[in-house]
Amino acid sequence: MKQAIWILTVALIGGIAGAQGPEGPSVSQAKGAIRGPAQSPASLPGPQTMTPQTYPVEQIQAGRLRFTSQCGFCHGRDTAGGETGPDLTRSKLVAEDVRGDEIGPVLRQGRPERGMPSFDLKDTDLGEIVAFIHDQKTRLEALGGGRRSVDAVDLASGDATAGRRYFNGTGGCSGCHSATGDLAGVASRYEGLALLQRMLYPGSGLAPARPKVTLSLPTGQTLVAPLASEDEFTIVALDPAGARQTYEKNAVKFRIDNSLSAHFDQLGKYTDDDMHNVFAYLDTLK
Amino acid sequence: MKLSGWSLVILSAVASAQGVGPKDLLHPPADSWLNYHGGYSGQRHSGLTEITPGNVGQLQQAWRFQTGQNQQIKSSPILSDGVLYVTTPDNIWAMDARTAKELWHYQNPPNNAFHIGHRGAAVYKDTVYLTTPDCHLIALSAKNGTVKWDVMIADSNKGYWSTNAPLIVGNHVLVGVSGDFDNLPGQLKSVDADTGKTQWIFYSTPPPGATEPHSGGATGGQMWTTGTYDPDLNLVYVGTGNPTPVLNGEARPGDNPWTCSIVALNPDTGKLVWGFQASPHDTHDWDANEVPVLVDADFKGQPRKLLMQASRNGYFFVLDRTNGKSLLTAPFATVNWAKGIDSEGHPIPDPAKYPSKSGVLVAPNESGATNFRPPSFDPKTGLLVVSAQDGYGIYFFKSEHGAYGWAGADYAVGGKAFLRAIDYRTGKIAWNHPIGEGAGAAGVLTTETGLTFSGDVTGNVMALRTSDGSTLWHEAIGRMGNAPITYELDGREYLVVGGGSSLYAFSLPKGEQP
Repeated sequence: MKQAIWILTVALIGGIAGAQGPEGPSVSQAKGAIRGPAQSPASLPGPQTMTPQTYPVEQIQAGRLRFTSQCGFCHGRDTAGGETGPDLTRSKLVAEDVRGDEIGPVLRQGRPERGMPSFDLKDTDLGEIVAFIHDQKTRLEALGGGRRSVDAVDLASGDATAGRRYFNGTGGCSGCHSATGDLAGVASRYEGLALLQRMLYPGSGLAPARPKVTLSLPTGQTLVAPLASEDEFTIVALDPAGARQTYEKNAVKFRIDNSLSAHFDQLGKYTDDDMHNVFAYLDTLK
Repeated sequence: MKLSGWSLVILSAVASAQGVGPKDLLHPPADSWLNYHGGYSGQRHSGLTEITPGNVGQLQQAWRFQTGQNQQIKSSPILSDGVLYVTTPDNIWAMDARTAKELWHYQNPPNNAFHIGHRGAAVYKDTVYLTTPDCHLIALSAKNGTVKWDVMIADSNKGYWSTNAPLIVGNHVLVGVSGDFDNLPGQLKSVDADTGKTQWIFYSTPPPGATEPHSGGATGGQMWTTGTYDPDLNLVYVGTGNPTPVLNGEARPGDNPWTCSIVALNPDTGKLVWGFQASPHDTHDWDANEVPVLVDADFKGQPRKLLMQASRNGYFFVLDRTNGKSLLTAPFATVNWAKGIDSEGHPIPDPAKYPSKSGVLVAPNESGATNFRPPSFDPKTGLLVVSAQDGYGIYFFKSEHGAYGWAGADYAVGGKAFLRAIDYRTGKIAWNHPIGEGAGAAGVLTTETGLTFSGDVTGNVMALRTSDGSTLWHEAIGRMGNAPITYELDGREYLVVGGGSSLYAFSLPKGEQP
């Protein structure tokens, strides 16, 4: 009986892992800098607006005030990137947005795992912000802007052969990863900066990888689940439906399989040459 | 009879109108928290003793105040005359500290300056001072929140904004501003507490139009955090921000004084007495705005007037605050950007870690080994408890990024947050308490009974034992944006802390004897 529960749980978790695992982008992950195999080469400008939209000048002006004060510190007053937030004029989500249908949910729900707070906005407020972002994207594209950008060609300073050597040797990467296994085609799924960030620490950036937690409950049941968050007192795991479930640490036995910690430790070991070389090697895995 | 009743009322009104005096600021009473740090030293250490390691586990919520707004509380509350003042950008609330009932709320008109946070108000006499995102300093009546005067301290249309909790020294209200996205000189302004008239301006980088060869053409060095003050030396100590352009160091050769520095100023004249650069020629946004903590203690057997700072660049500095000379420089977090320490205690930046076209991997990341969140010094143990981060970032600069504002790009790639206790005598880490992934947001408060109050990344307010960092109490209140404060009111000790957009007070259960 216990075994049956385990197998069922593992199968369900496996389903989640398939959708949210480190190298298997789900539908919601097919945004931003993740590209499909047939998409444009890295050095081209950001994605173009798919559905051209125009907005009244008053709405854009009101949006400028709102955007600058609430969003500008992170995303730049001109929407082209700021202290921590990305360049919105190069965002695939913005390019696909039609009158806030994509931007709205992100603003209202935030992206807490990436440090973006949620905003409690009235429809009119939201509409103004959306109008300003689209207007800025049109303007900056006309200017050929992107002055705060990092282009994929900028990153091409490494030696793929040396990177492969490091990957299979000193770096120890091949202890967990394989160029023909989990990383096959990785450079078709991520490009440029997104690939570099993913390589350095898959726990940050788009679609962060989640450690797995094994929980032994007082009922005798054992669960293996993706870890949503953890603090000194609680474990928050995702159930098979993707909902967050909280467990008091002093009420359960638990073990966290955090392969991410190896990535964090590696950050202290890479030389800049190692980093560029491994990146160059991964960039060949298309 | 009626007449005498009126005169009583008038007398009491006069008495309370005197409010906070210079002596109160020098020696804050137990039933107050009169400036950002709760005192001039920046130690953020309370002498109250009712809450102890033995009973802290029984703390209960006494009240909760909700702003009813989106904006997170990132300010240090002020308590004066039984009234608490708490701020968010463009807002200040005065509430009865016994009941958390709102007494008044002042709201600044909407404006397009950054609304990223606000650090708190200041009080003097019967006036409350508030800076606004659009760089006004507003003097409000402590009694009813009406505006006494309103002056502009910098031009927000040029890119300045303010989050600053003013520092009041004598009749001077010292206010700073922020401004990293434009090449603007760093300025700290002293304003007359009664009239709002500007008394002096200290520029950390040359003012517009001035030519000063030593700066290397750098702008920036904004003083956006609250300084500390030594009344015996009559010196104000302020941390200065990073240079601009931020990541492009080629455009501003040399050390770029007085950016990323601790400066000692005469509060009556604004003149620089000495400066110490924590990060010469910074190219990573590591300002030195962290609190310069003032401590009188022995150092290597000698009684000293010390200044210590755990700086955003990952180094802990101990200086002689009479002259700014270095006594100790030691890393307190993961660092890989310096080639060593020079003979005067400054880290020597490694050019191999300057932002580059293909990127360099640098520790700490941009949010730093610590940041605005204030530390606390515990005199008994000699420990400075800091909200620290070990983290890495990738830094880019290419000529196309230009020489204006940010002028580059950088991304944090990983970080781990800790409460970390540094022994000031050696710079060694006495204990290290993990608080989550990324960076913490809570500052630190220590108390005389050996308690450290702070918070973790997920939103627990916590009490630790100062001597060893072990956890004694916690409560989930939402993400904290600043340090807890404590005070005594009607004979009871309260812990007050912001979580999300609420302010919480905790105390021991009634009838509980310490």
